[in-house]
Amino acid sequence: MPISLTNLLSKYIPENNQLERIWILAKTDFKLRYYETTLGLIWAFLHPLIRMIIYWVIFSYILNQNIPNYGMYIFSGLIVWMYFQEATRKGLMILRSKRYLYENIKMNLYDGFTSSILSTVIGLAFNIFVFIAISPFFNISYSFHILWMFPLMLNLAVLVFAISLILVILNSFLKDISQVWDVFLLGMFWINPIFYAKALIFETFPSLMYINPIAGIIVNLRDALMYAKAPDMTMMAFDWLYALVLLVIGMLIFNRYFHKAMEKL
Amino acid sequence: MENKETVIRLENVSKTFVFRDKKVASFFTQLGWVFTGKNIRRIEALKNINLEVKKGEFLGIVGENGSGKSTLIHLMTGFYKPEKGGKAEISGNFIRLSLGLGFNQELTARENIYLNGSVMGLTLREINEKFDEMIAFAELEEYVDTKIKFYSRGMKARLSFAVAIHANAEILLMDEFFGGVGDEKFKVKSDKVFKESVLKGRTIVHVSHNLSTIRHYATRVILMHKGELVGMGTPDEVFEMYKNKIRVDKLNLRDYVDDDQSF
Repeated sequence: MPISLTNLLSKYIPENNQLERIWILAKTDFKLRYYETTLGLIWAFLHPLIRMIIYWVIFSYILNQNIPNYGMYIFSGLIVWMYFQEATRKGLMILRSKRYLYENIKMNLYDGFTSSILSTVIGLAFNIFVFIAISPFFNISYSFHILWMFPLMLNLAVLVFAISLILVILNSFLKDISQVWDVFLLGMFWINPIFYAKALIFETFPSLMYINPIAGIIVNLRDALMYAKAPDMTMMAFDWLYALVLLVIGMLIFNRYFHKAMEKL
Repeated sequence: MENKETVIRLENVSKTFVFRDKKVASFFTQLGWVFTGKNIRRIEALKNINLEVKKGEFLGIVGENGSGKSTLIHLMTGFYKPEKGGKAEISGNFIRLSLGLGFNQELTARENIYLNGSVMGLTLREINEKFDEMIAFAELEEYVDTKIKFYSRGMKARLSFAVAIHANAEILLMDEFFGGVGDEKFKVKSDKVFKESVLKGRTIVHVSHNLSTIRHYATRVILMHKGELVGMGTPDEVFEMYKNKIRVDKLNLRDYVDDDQSF
């Protein structure tokens, strides 16, 4: 059998061309991103790892954060952040990278987004898996709260989906958007509790927790993976609300301007 | 033909593209254009087109470069929307085939077949079943797991043809899809397959500069000229009009019309 996992899945899931197509597109994206290189999937993990080491060295000396298990603390934040950064940058380009689909066949316009996000989620899941696998070496014990990672990952994916819908349309009318988004990401990076202690950032700027949808996801995922704690439900509700409201706005904008955007590309 | 159901209907379809020229100017001058609307160019790609395509028909579209043929296809598929007052409808599953399909250069033939097969509406089971047949047809048995960026043009063209004939769609819109694919032997083979399986029961809209394909298969041909539909009829009638149009525009008609290579 040529493609084993796909064939395996297709035995249990009823035949559906649309789902199969999304899966094949996602797999192709993922393969092109990682398998071309000699180290392959290891890169998905090396990026946050190398960054973690850099921040760890810098911030434990300069900021004197005094957070126990600081390396893993940073790592958990970076996994979420780097996923968000990569997936939205990729989302910005979807109409261009998937043009051949939109141009050639009749399909659900959102399929291109679903497959693109699915391909990045595979990388995210891989990193979280590595995190969980190495946890015992850092005296982190497992608990059932780890399962909270699923709604949190889904929340993140929905958020990325919504933001991609908006960005992709804006970017087709104004190419500067990709530059603006990069600057925006840079700013967002520094206001997220990636290497600061949660208390530090939220005591100084309490509203940041709420104007920044990634912060809550980082804090909650960290609680689930590292501290065996249930998520802060208010924050989780807030983050879901954020994602869903943006999704509705994104879909409205996308449906309204998709064809016009395609003419501009 | 009159009793058959209409699968593509265009009513008063017009399309104007508006874009800004990239001229060399200072930053502030360019910023000024954004507000004054200067330097904006309008191209009337299609003007008031009315057209119906019936089920099972093979419609050929001919015309010079820039006459609006490809834009017309994009309006038929709904990829572009017509301007106010116009209506474009297509009923049924369709696929637009253009040169190279959606092939990714970094993928192997095998991966591209799965990707494109799925895009063309085949289920994985169907692709598994037809895989060997496609490879055999394209004569690429030895290169199944070679990235197609190492393929010659001819090999890529054969592969895309082999995948496309299995497309799961009632309507095929071909935009310069066939044009001298492969050697003589392959042409004979693909011609046979084309007649036997591709044409069967399908509706086909075919844009091409290669008039011989259209002459062989088209049941009706339309002639586009500067965004207008200027002629409709049998291949011979329309080719005659086309020749005259080209003669008027002082182009070398021999390059266009006597190019009798079949695909």
